[in-house]
Amino acid sequence: MSDVTHTATPWPAANSSAEVVVVGSGAGGAPTAALLAEAGLDVLVIEEGPWVAQGEVVPFSLDQMHRQYRSRGVTVALGKPSIAYTEGRCAGGGSEINSGLYWRPPASLLSRWRDEYDLATLDPDEVERILDEIEVALSVQLVPGAPTAPSEVLRRGAAALGWRHDEVPRWMTYPDGDDASRGRRQSMTETYLPRATQAGARIVTGARVDRITMRAGHANGVDVTTDDDARRHIACRHVVVCAGAIHTPALLQRSGIRRNVGASLAIHPTVKLAARFPETMNVPDDVPVHQVKEFAPLLSFGGSASHPGLVALSLADAWDRFGSRIVDWERMSVYYAAITPQGRGRVRALPGFADPLVTYRLTRRDQALLGRGLARLSLVMLEAGADEVYPSFRGASVVSSRSDVAEQQRQFSATRATVMSVHLCSTVPLGGTRSAQRGTDEWGAVPGVGNVTVNDASLLPDAPGVNPQATVMALAIRNTRHHLATDRFARSDA
Amino acid sequence: MISRLAPDVTVVTGAAGWLGSALMARLGAQRPDGLVALVHDETDRDAVLTLAPQARVVVGDVSDRSGIDALFAGLTGDVDVIHTAGVIHPRRVADFETVNSIGTANVLAAAARAGARRVVHVSSNSPFGTNPDVTDVFRGDEPYDPYYGYGRSKMHAEGHVADAVERGLDAVIVRPPWFYGPHQPARQTTFFTMIRKGRFPVIGSGRQRRSMVYVDNLVDGVLLAELVPTAPGRAWWIADERPYELNEIVDTVGRALRDEGFDVRPNRTRVPAIVGRVAEFADAAIQRTGRYQQAVHVLGEMDKTIAVDISSATTELGYRPAVALHDGMRASIRWCRDQGILL
Repeated sequence: MSDVTHTATPWPAANSSAEVVVVGSGAGGAPTAALLAEAGLDVLVIEEGPWVAQGEVVPFSLDQMHRQYRSRGVTVALGKPSIAYTEGRCAGGGSEINSGLYWRPPASLLSRWRDEYDLATLDPDEVERILDEIEVALSVQLVPGAPTAPSEVLRRGAAALGWRHDEVPRWMTYPDGDDASRGRRQSMTETYLPRATQAGARIVTGARVDRITMRAGHANGVDVTTDDDARRHIACRHVVVCAGAIHTPALLQRSGIRRNVGASLAIHPTVKLAARFPETMNVPDDVPVHQVKEFAPLLSFGGSASHPGLVALSLADAWDRFGSRIVDWERMSVYYAAITPQGRGRVRALPGFADPLVTYRLTRRDQALLGRGLARLSLVMLEAGADEVYPSFRGASVVSSRSDVAEQQRQFSATRATVMSVHLCSTVPLGGTRSAQRGTDEWGAVPGVGNVTVNDASLLPDAPGVNPQATVMALAIRNTRHHLATDRFARSDA
Repeated sequence: MISRLAPDVTVVTGAAGWLGSALMARLGAQRPDGLVALVHDETDRDAVLTLAPQARVVVGDVSDRSGIDALFAGLTGDVDVIHTAGVIHPRRVADFETVNSIGTANVLAAAARAGARRVVHVSSNSPFGTNPDVTDVFRGDEPYDPYYGYGRSKMHAEGHVADAVERGLDAVIVRPPWFYGPHQPARQTTFFTMIRKGRFPVIGSGRQRRSMVYVDNLVDGVLLAELVPTAPGRAWWIADERPYELNEIVDTVGRALRDEGFDVRPNRTRVPAIVGRVAEFADAAIQRTGRYQQAVHVLGEMDKTIAVDISSATTELGYRPAVALHDGMRASIRWCRDQGILL
């Protein structure tokens, strides 16, 4: 995009003060910045990663991992087993790199959160109305024309088993009519960030917020390190932290805010398999839109990015048995089974290190669920016509029949599997005063620090069981409107 | 659902067992002739004839092909086979394979030679292991994950059914979970006695769920599977309407005993979850040595959820379980009393 309002502001143009600093520009930060700027506030968005416009890199490619992922996609939560996770680190955050699949949070989830976490003000109807707005803003729609072959596999396999399955809508537009492979992702750099800049917000990229500076129990600015290692201090009246479920708690901890911060990390652990079919079917630059929801929210099955490098990666756990199959990558695609776990993890900022220490523990039940999930997914593949299935765990064998699936279940152990997660949340959870895990109040304000709020995936009380982007955006909009209506940002001392 | 008429001949294996007896009682009343029953021991003969005086009783072992051949000798007309013979708590682990797997293969082969109209094979939940979460429910189609020796043998038996269907036999599978009701063996009497004395060991929270099936509901399901025409090779869960929480099972049985006039002590026997895990570990270790310990096996399984979804039997067979836990348990208790069994 050449339009200057659609890109970041260079540092020299950025003043060294702002009314509100928004840390991070993803699904939480972008709508927050747009709404605050549109209300007339002087907003500065500080983003650690670069601005990469849609179309500049191939989706789900290694190039994208290098430019838009934190640590090039290699980040790990330590535990038995350790769990690899990925985070966006770019303008727009995770919305630039995720599957683009839109899941409206079920009303039952919102009312459960209201009841379990003492969130009396969480009104499911209000959230529903905000979701309606979001669906318009992001052009949420079903894929036009026929789904891709890897997506059709999920539909066909689930239908043969009589299992519930859905086509998931996406935040995509299709400028070329009904060509499903030519979608344009309506990520934050295409939607809420341009809205923010049009309303006067400044967005700086390549700048990391090291800490919130505090005076007499109130924030008075942020310390920033830019890509060229220059350090600056930005004075501000309010800080809204939207750095994602890992870096939001780490920043708060580095700033001396530690109560219930980083102690309740929730994720959706996934295990994978690759499946080979009789016909050519690989789609390297897109993911399937169908998901199997028969066992939701306990278990969900979907398709993963499957460019040849990622196919090879999914065969790597049992390379001695699976490696020779890589020549057939054009007939293969990668699929995942995700669980809603009982386990929780922890995020701890370590002095002297840029990245926090992340740990996560799967319970016995979580491990059993991963094993059963991967077996059920193998059955979907066999029913869809796969001639061979390659489960991603050490010691796995090729699966080509139902009795092989029994053997797969027997051999499976979560500690030998490549467990991954893309949905990270709940590290600074919303909660009423009776919620034991309460990291912020019911609107994301940090208790005891009137002018620091959190407004991203960290606020989700627990793992939602579906892709959380829509939920994150809806909560961010709800909270920001509440703060505007109650003049929180108009008061210098809040 | 449109059912076919009863066949000219109905062959029942395992006719003196728990399900077999309930089935013979029903068939004895419904099918005036053409009943052939296989029993394992000469001493079982009279019990079967009491339930179905018109039956021709054959003594033999499903694992012995010559005995099976005698069972099918000289049959004419439409022949249906209901294969209930099996062993669940054997002395030796090897018996699982001999009886449950090889026995089933023998029955299927003989049925094919006799030109059977349909074979109903009675399987189990055990080829599918246990649910990974208390809210999870086994669907009509699930990956195998056999639970130790019994589960493996019943999985192999289902494999023999699939092979026979491939070769052209019309065979289907009924999968009952834990059953209860009249004709129960002694181990179930212990279950009642433990609950009456307040000594039934509830492992962990008691929130684990179990599907159960009242034996007459199961007979309904088996006969529908026999008589409703479907594609060969189909398999159905046959159970009560819904799974029960273990706490609900213990409470309901206590209430049923009280309603039948027994003095029941409140059940306060709670056992930490670790006991179940240790028992499962011990069960696996014992089975690896070729031996089998019923008490250890049952204790190891008691902290698991085994829950099934009967909806495919409802839609494809028109199966509707008529009896639920409280009424079924009362009937079971009355049956024990009528037999002079002390609880």
